[in-house]
Amino acid sequence: MTTTQNKYDLLVDIIDEQAKGLSSLYEIEEVLHNSAIDTVDALGEIANLIQESFKIHGKCSTILQYRDHIFHSGGKTKYPHKVSADIIVRKRKLGLITSTFKKKRPKNFKSEKEFLQSIAYRIADFLLYRRLKSIFYDWETTKQEFTDKKSGEWLVILELLRRTDPELFFRISRKMLNYLIWQGFKEAEEILKKFIPQNRQENGAGEVNSPQEKHTFEDSLVLSRDIFKIARNNFDNDTILALIQNWIQQDKISFLVRVTANNNSSLTDISHALRRYFQIAPKGLTLAHSIKIGVSASLIRRFFSDQLEFINIAKKFVTISDFAELAKQMIFPDESHGKLGGKSAGLFLAKHVLDEYKKDNPLLDSIKTPNTWYITSDTMVQFMEYNNLEDILEQKYKTIDEIRREYPHVILLFKRSHFPLQILQGLSMALDDFGDHPLIVRSSSLLEDRLGAAFSGKYKSLFISNQGTKQEKLQSLTDAIAEVYASTLGPDPIEYRASKGLLDFHEEMGIMIQEVVGQQIGDYFFSAYAGVAFSKNEFLWSPRIKRDDGLVRIVPGLGTRAVDRIGDDYPIMVAPGRPELRTNITIEENIRYSPKYIDVINLRKNKFETIEIASLLKNYGHIYPGIEHIVSVFQQNHLVKANRLMTDFTKEDLIITFNGIFKDTTFIKQLRSILTILKNELQTPVDIEFASDGEDFYLLQCRPQSQTDAAAPARIPKNLVKEDIIFSANKFVSNGKLKNIEYIVYVSPEGYSALTSLERMKKVGRAISKLNKALPARKFILLGPGRWGSRGDIKLGVSVTYSDINNTAALIEIARKKGDYTPDLSFGTHFFQDLVEAKIRYLPLYPDEKRNIFREDFFNNSENILSTLLPEYEILNDVIKVIDVKPRIFKLLMNADSNHALGILTDKK
Amino acid sequence: MSTNNSFNPFRMAQEQFDHVADLIGLDQSTKELLRVPMREYHFSIPVKMDDGHVKVFRGYRCQHNDARGPAKGGIRFHPQETIDTVRALSMWMTWKTAVVNLPLGGGKGGVICDPHNLSMREQEQICRGWVRQIAKNIGPVSDVPAPDVMTNAQHMLWMMDEFETIHGGRYPGFITGKPVGMGGSLGRTEATGYGVVYTIREALKELKIDPKSTTASIQGFGNVAQYAIELYTQLGGTVIAVSCWDQKDQTSYTYKKNDGIELKGLLEITDRFGGIDKNKAQDLGYEILDGDQWIEQEVDILIPAAIENQVTGETIQKVSKKVKIIAEGANGPTTPEADAVINERNIFIIPDFLANAGGVTCSYFEQVQSNTNYFWEKEEVLGKLDTKMTTAFIAVNELVRSKNLYGRDAAYVIAISRVAQAVKDRGWV
Repeated sequence: MTTTQNKYDLLVDIIDEQAKGLSSLYEIEEVLHNSAIDTVDALGEIANLIQESFKIHGKCSTILQYRDHIFHSGGKTKYPHKVSADIIVRKRKLGLITSTFKKKRPKNFKSEKEFLQSIAYRIADFLLYRRLKSIFYDWETTKQEFTDKKSGEWLVILELLRRTDPELFFRISRKMLNYLIWQGFKEAEEILKKFIPQNRQENGAGEVNSPQEKHTFEDSLVLSRDIFKIARNNFDNDTILALIQNWIQQDKISFLVRVTANNNSSLTDISHALRRYFQIAPKGLTLAHSIKIGVSASLIRRFFSDQLEFINIAKKFVTISDFAELAKQMIFPDESHGKLGGKSAGLFLAKHVLDEYKKDNPLLDSIKTPNTWYITSDTMVQFMEYNNLEDILEQKYKTIDEIRREYPHVILLFKRSHFPLQILQGLSMALDDFGDHPLIVRSSSLLEDRLGAAFSGKYKSLFISNQGTKQEKLQSLTDAIAEVYASTLGPDPIEYRASKGLLDFHEEMGIMIQEVVGQQIGDYFFSAYAGVAFSKNEFLWSPRIKRDDGLVRIVPGLGTRAVDRIGDDYPIMVAPGRPELRTNITIEENIRYSPKYIDVINLRKNKFETIEIASLLKNYGHIYPGIEHIVSVFQQNHLVKANRLMTDFTKEDLIITFNGIFKDTTFIKQLRSILTILKNELQTPVDIEFASDGEDFYLLQCRPQSQTDAAAPARIPKNLVKEDIIFSANKFVSNGKLKNIEYIVYVSPEGYSALTSLERMKKVGRAISKLNKALPARKFILLGPGRWGSRGDIKLGVSVTYSDINNTAALIEIARKKGDYTPDLSFGTHFFQDLVEAKIRYLPLYPDEKRNIFREDFFNNSENILSTLLPEYEILNDVIKVIDVKPRIFKLLMNADSNHALGILTDKK
Repeated sequence: MSTNNSFNPFRMAQEQFDHVADLIGLDQSTKELLRVPMREYHFSIPVKMDDGHVKVFRGYRCQHNDARGPAKGGIRFHPQETIDTVRALSMWMTWKTAVVNLPLGGGKGGVICDPHNLSMREQEQICRGWVRQIAKNIGPVSDVPAPDVMTNAQHMLWMMDEFETIHGGRYPGFITGKPVGMGGSLGRTEATGYGVVYTIREALKELKIDPKSTTASIQGFGNVAQYAIELYTQLGGTVIAVSCWDQKDQTSYTYKKNDGIELKGLLEITDRFGGIDKNKAQDLGYEILDGDQWIEQEVDILIPAAIENQVTGETIQKVSKKVKIIAEGANGPTTPEADAVINERNIFIIPDFLANAGGVTCSYFEQVQSNTNYFWEKEEVLGKLDTKMTTAFIAVNELVRSKNLYGRDAAYVIAISRVAQAVKDRGWV
């Protein structure tokens, strides 16, 4: 019975044990599925359940370890036989279950091991589930919170930032703090105080030598949280989001700010930075206005000019992307710190000012600038170093005669020199860009910045046809650049610099290589028309024209003939403010004072040429672009409007009048807009060069309008001795200054009008003509009644032609009262344009107007040397007075700004 | 400024008239009538300027005498125009039309203004305003204006249009100097130069010289000179020297070729003002002399066709003994001192207002064509011009021969006599 009883007991035990095992497993599952139970509690429960199920095997104990938690069940006693299983979650061991037994168990604890192992797996699953669930829950609740407060995005971004780029996170927090303080939030100031130790703030007396306390990471986190709490309470979501985005972007381009602000960065660095910036964001980034302006200002300074006035204006109109574009067309040596020079700066700025106005002004739509490449000013220095030409710089200290004599050799030397490889590569790229288009190589000197237009034109600008093989083109381009470089050592600029005390200024010259505006016709390449325009009109040919009406000088072909004054040919002049008041009124004037020659580039001969317009039109009149707007047809003493279809441009007698352009196109309005806008924005009267290919208007150059010394407004001195003032004028005064006049030729209005014979009057004209040759050129002035050179009626003014007076320095017409009225003086004497081209000053005098001084006594009482100079004209002694003012000198000071002019005697200094 | 002693063109014209009137022995009443214009109009022309304000201009028209036909004369735009200038010029027009025996009188008009200070629109308003003020007193059958100082074909067309608007019809004969196709006449360009040569041809006939055997030297190479050379060469004459102004050098040169200049070749190297390209002329084989050497040439005929005061007491001394004729293509090229020498040396003078009357004659033809609204071919114009000039020359020449008068005086005598006769015939005096 005992054995049977034992067997039965054993069986029961086994079944019972299995049942317990199963029951334990079941109970464990119950615990693991209880979502309400805490993970730690659950693990404690499980430890107890395991112990419970092993208890039937006799004395034993169970330990469950999970991270830092240890759960004991069945006491802390460890028995000799041990069974264990690891709790592994996603390959990481997070815990361990261990049970120890006093007695051995069958099959070396195999089933106990399996039991513990399956529980360990279950616990691992449970832990993973719990972890995921918590993450998911966190996410859900955060999301819920965000949605509830409608301030989600920026928090997410900030949170991401905090996790991924803590440094940027803190920089942004700091920026927000600054922003809050600028906005005047007191709480923010409190936070700021935490950044700065109290003792430092209060101790305002001086520097503190001990290092600042360093805040811990946690401190900063707390501060950041506080900062954004203030932000959240005061701004809406969009505002905060926009601010954060902005700061992140700014941070991204901080390299650009650093590079541009650093004076040591080379142009290479800057252009790399620009390129990188646009690689990051091809369309540019939305930057804070202040940053944009800051970077632009730095770029303006580095590329163009240190002059604050220039930077102040330019920064309003140019953007960083403009510079990125510019940098693509710049040629400069490694580590360059050069600039582009005055001419480049002027054009760049003008273009962007006009672009700004294009939105509101359709007249400006068609304005373009030609494709241009730039060479920086220090390239010239490098070129000279490369060829050991530095010594030549000392050339400027030689005498003017030496300089003049040696200048041709200097040019030759420069032309035979070589360009550094890097520059050649740059030029080669430029040539690839230009193709076969003819080019102009313009100087863009740094001195122009300082001296304005007075200095411009002293250096060369050269046209090149840019034809032939690549090698030939490169050769002629480098030749031209070398020649322009050499022109810094030419006698004229050196003389001018010496006179201004600027000889020691280290002249560097930038270069602009520009496509010539125009088209090829036959062998020739030229603009349809080109010219210059000025804000201020210095040649008031009618009293109805005001200085502010401006002036345009325009010619067919290349603009060279409008820029320079050419003795025997004339540009067409018009005042954009009064376009209807033309200089040429009669048919004869229209013919006489119209351009007869045209400057072109001969592509076959590869050279710049001046040819007759008539012969050009004979061959190509029918294909000259826009010719019907440029010429009028001369038919039977009548100027007829040209007609594209009806006029045979190769056969008719054509006169250049530009009537079509002035009357039938918006040209005048457009120019007036340009001049007004540029004058207002650049805060100075301007001087522009333009050209047209027949379709579009191209701006070629823009600079402040200033005058050569002789044409600048003269300073009118005060406190003069009354006796020294010979005459004064207050009407229709233009600018001018004549300082070395030795003779005054005065035709007395009374004497002239008292002449009773025609023959005698004509004799006056002949005497003037003789005096014109007898007196030293430009050392005398002519004064006389009425309209000089009047053809209609000799009694109205001395009968002379231009050649009779072409050596005078000034022509002064006197208008005396006739009964009740003073006749209008005609400024537009028929040789007025001759006066302009020869730089002879013109002034009308109104002696009978009260405030004017006119010292008749001086003219009447001074010694008359007429009969000494021209004995045969002694008979005219009462009419013509020739006064030798030496040893004193006579000065004519004319100031258009104050509309005041004085003729004074002074002692020679 | 305008004192009694000062130069007064009207007084000068009156003195000239008095001199001839005494020569003729004109009666006092006729003298009184012809010494001053018969009618003078002074009026104001208000013009709304471009800037909106109104400016009042002063306009004039003098009809010196219209006994022989409608008054004829230009309209001047001049800033310092005076009524005395207009009076003098209107008187000269009376003599000028009379010497060529045109059925016209003399007139002149003007506006005190300077076109250099006026826009084209403002000038148009002045032209129209001028016509409005005087539309009742001028017209194709009473007074016919023409271009003058600072007015041109455009001004004439504006005036014509205003006149036609006022009178409600088309009256191209109201004004001359219009472009061809708008009532102008063909042959106008050639008229003055050809006219000079018609008189030279007749003078040579008188002197019994074959034109083919003659040579000539000409001052000037403008419109008048060019056409004079053309016709003279066609007659068989040889021009060996021509002088002209060089704009570039601001002086004049004489271009000489002993076997005769070649007009066509020279024209190709000449600008619109008759300026010959010096270098190209040299290439063509011309000898280049000083500008005033044209007058010293060994030729039969001198034609001053440039500017006034060229044949002076001084320069006349250089004139070759060979010279037989001086034909004045220009206005007033000869001074009184030179006149005396010419007369003394018995050189045949064709005075300016006869020699260069081809211009006014063609204006008359324009008027006739416009009035009939029938326009002639150029040949017809030039043919009729030849007849007129020849007849005029013969009349003057007969007087020179019969009364042994100096050419210039004879021309004045014939002109003034014709006008005097007309006012008598009409019973005015």
